[in-house]
Amino acid sequence: MSITLIRDISDSSSYWGASWVFGCFPDIHIVCDAPIGCYNLLGMAITDYTDALPHMANLTPTSIREEDVINGTTKALQRTIDDLRGLGTLEGKRLLVISTAESEMISADHKQFLAQLDPEARFFWSQSLDHDEWQGRERALLFAWEEYGKPLVPANAAPKAANLVNIIGPSLGCFNAPADLHEVKRLITGVGGELNLVYPYEASLAATPKLAAAAVNVVLYREFGTGLAEALGRPYLFAPFGVFGTTEFLRELGALLGTPSDQVEAFIAAEKRTTLQAVWDLWRGPQSDWFATVDCAVVAGRSYVEGLTQFLGNELGMKIAWSSGRPRREEEPDNSEIRRRLHTKPPAFIFGSINEKIYLAETNARMTQFIPATFPGPVVRRTMGTPFMGYAGAANIMQELVNRFYDIVFNFLPVEQVKVETAGHGPPAGPPAAAASAASAETMAWSKEATERLDAALEQVPFLARISASRTLRLAAEEAARVRGLREVNVAMVEAAIARGV
Amino acid sequence: MAEHTPPAPDDELSAPEPFRGGSCKLHPQTMCPAFGALRVLSRIEGAQPAMVTDAGCLYGLTFVSHFYAARKSILAPQLGTAELSSGQVQEAAQAVIAEAAKEQNVSVIPVISLCVAETAGLAEELLPTEVDGKPVVLVRVPAYAIHSHPEAKDIALAAVMRRFVDAQVEAEPHTLALLGEVFPADPLIIDGLLRKMGGRVVTTLPGRHVDELKLAGRATAVAALHPYYRETVGVLRERGIGVVTGAPIGVEGSAAWIRAVGAALDLDEEVVEQVASAEEAAARGFLAMQPLKGTTIMLSGYEGNEMLYARLLIEGGAHVPYVSTSIGQSMLTAADEAWLKAHGCETVVYRKAIEDDMAAMEYWRFDLVIGTTTLAAHAKELGIPAVYYTNILSVRPLFLAGGMIASLSFVRELLGRKPLYERMVDFFQR
Repeated sequence: MSITLIRDISDSSSYWGASWVFGCFPDIHIVCDAPIGCYNLLGMAITDYTDALPHMANLTPTSIREEDVINGTTKALQRTIDDLRGLGTLEGKRLLVISTAESEMISADHKQFLAQLDPEARFFWSQSLDHDEWQGRERALLFAWEEYGKPLVPANAAPKAANLVNIIGPSLGCFNAPADLHEVKRLITGVGGELNLVYPYEASLAATPKLAAAAVNVVLYREFGTGLAEALGRPYLFAPFGVFGTTEFLRELGALLGTPSDQVEAFIAAEKRTTLQAVWDLWRGPQSDWFATVDCAVVAGRSYVEGLTQFLGNELGMKIAWSSGRPRREEEPDNSEIRRRLHTKPPAFIFGSINEKIYLAETNARMTQFIPATFPGPVVRRTMGTPFMGYAGAANIMQELVNRFYDIVFNFLPVEQVKVETAGHGPPAGPPAAAASAASAETMAWSKEATERLDAALEQVPFLARISASRTLRLAAEEAARVRGLREVNVAMVEAAIARGV
Repeated sequence: MAEHTPPAPDDELSAPEPFRGGSCKLHPQTMCPAFGALRVLSRIEGAQPAMVTDAGCLYGLTFVSHFYAARKSILAPQLGTAELSSGQVQEAAQAVIAEAAKEQNVSVIPVISLCVAETAGLAEELLPTEVDGKPVVLVRVPAYAIHSHPEAKDIALAAVMRRFVDAQVEAEPHTLALLGEVFPADPLIIDGLLRKMGGRVVTTLPGRHVDELKLAGRATAVAALHPYYRETVGVLRERGIGVVTGAPIGVEGSAAWIRAVGAALDLDEEVVEQVASAEEAAARGFLAMQPLKGTTIMLSGYEGNEMLYARLLIEGGAHVPYVSTSIGQSMLTAADEAWLKAHGCETVVYRKAIEDDMAAMEYWRFDLVIGTTTLAAHAKELGIPAVYYTNILSVRPLFLAGGMIASLSFVRELLGRKPLYERMVDFFQR
């Protein structure tokens, strides 16, 4: 069997996906059978960068140690549950224990143990060694339905009302979920739907049986969620993108809900004059001409890849150079190939993750505009104002692209550089100097005045950039001194480094 | 600034129960230990990290590395049940090493072996030591065995130092290597000070270039500025390099450190004494105003250098009854702990959990919390000024009189922001 290599992994494991689904429920407490790192990265570090949550309050690790790797993790689990009970954390909550790659590695299956300990508790074997985050999310949604919902719902129960709609999918770690969700809710209610459950994002575990009350389900993502929609046995639609894609969705949804078509058309007509007016105005203006002249690439979740391709490509006529969805299909470029393409022929725009951003930085490809469209990568997307889906998404993306065009134009125009002369004025920030050469590895002597000048210059640098600026400036000044054969860095060398715009 | 808050619970008449720490240690507070290794290794110019681990681990560590360590592509083999159960860990490691060697300008290939690879049993003797002349260095950092992120920095640095420090090279007299991730201007300031005494700083570790690692081997002595580089110090000691522990922190710390360095580098005693006294006088001048007098500050981080900051705060006049850190207790932490305990600090918690910090929040009343994200969030929910230790304090100079003045002035400013914190909590939580 040959070994597959991964560059800058794009999808996490099912432990993450499942925890990001279960973690939405306020009435659950998750114990992950994990070493401290798996807990910290998921519960404290990364969910803060994907969802802007200071930490996941309903996640606790067993903190697997060396002895547990040898003897099994049952003792660690028992201790963890005892401590949680002691603190009162489990009161009013369902306990769920979830396996991780490391606990699966040592075959730590706690199903029987948990059944004896607490009949209400459940064990979720995440299959983290083999399943990705999308499979993990899919299985977690189904598991929640089968364990906490379905048994409480009479077989063949009818919907409570014909216009009740569930939204399935939005959960932690889903890029831009609040804005997309807000837009999809608006569209559903616009054509006469009434929201039943937003699952799991705005639901509790106890509310799970209520899933059966809806007549129609809207699955927010193509990456996962259809498993639950199929199990619920009601008609379902995927969340829409673009002007025409969204219009089609509204008509289909209206029909499924039994909304009179007059009402649906009236909503669409009103949207044209409000949400979509910007699209029509930009289309009629000179801005839309640009769209035919530039290309873009898309690296994102399957829904975003399909949605952006449809809107930008089919509806606005932009050239989609290539795309790669998550989960990735065999014929789509992997990260090594994406990197190669970005190095050799970068498109004018790329929607992507921090990986694409790094590949652009590696060749200093400043002419390509990067637009965040997926994780990994730290980005806050917590407001309602940045949707990709629906009519509002179409207007937002068009607005964003046009503003990027303006930026490109701005950067092309000639500019006269102004030299900053006096100390303490203007930041010496800018592109980083060449990294330390072998010769510059050694620390040089600095005159007192030179050090003071450096400090004064750094005072002017924005706080966050100060560390890198201090290193770059230091190296540049030392390099300048070395070139001139000086044994000590003097003020003139610091000035020279600042003047170079280092 | 708040005029004064009692350092102990409200009822000062009854003798308070001593602080006992958290009732359990459920939520350890440290970045994934392995990240410490990635941070040190991926920042070396030309280092091409190869990680041997599962997908979830890879995702998390790559995410934080790309955010906090280096904008550098990271390679790994796919390791699932099929590969692990058929004993292909070794083959997987070799495949990723071969791929890493194909990158441009590779100076070293650190092979970072994590939990599942370590559990499966990755054998060092079966790995190449170099590929096409590019050195391969195995770094084992399973989170289940290494308990904190700073200590993994040490393990990673020691691994590359073993490889790159030349045992045969002759020591250069009167030179010092600095050891610890410090504010980049700090080594300059220390170097300026040493030059006044006839010595100099030769390099600062963990370096950003393999040559910087090699240079450290030529130093007369190494100054372990942070108290968790146990293995790295060991590697240098074996090569006959002297070791100075502690850091030039605050009034007492700076003077003692300057004298210790003077002795280790064999510098002129009289000159050293003059420099030490001058530093002491400069720092005392600033401290005369006791900028933090009457305040109680909590210090809780996972960077391993928390005790240094606590010393500064105390010299600045603050009451710092509680300090917690993710690292373990060792000979390198002993001096700082003793100093803190002699200056009003009642508890130093090693390998802390959030439960310890929460218990301390109940026990004392703080005017400012410098803590981990979880703790700082909790403090903000209570309307207490709070900042994340890692992001906010590690980006400032710290050492000698200049560092002290910068750090204390900043803390004083934070204390003045209490009304903002109170207004927010009033709005959102009441």
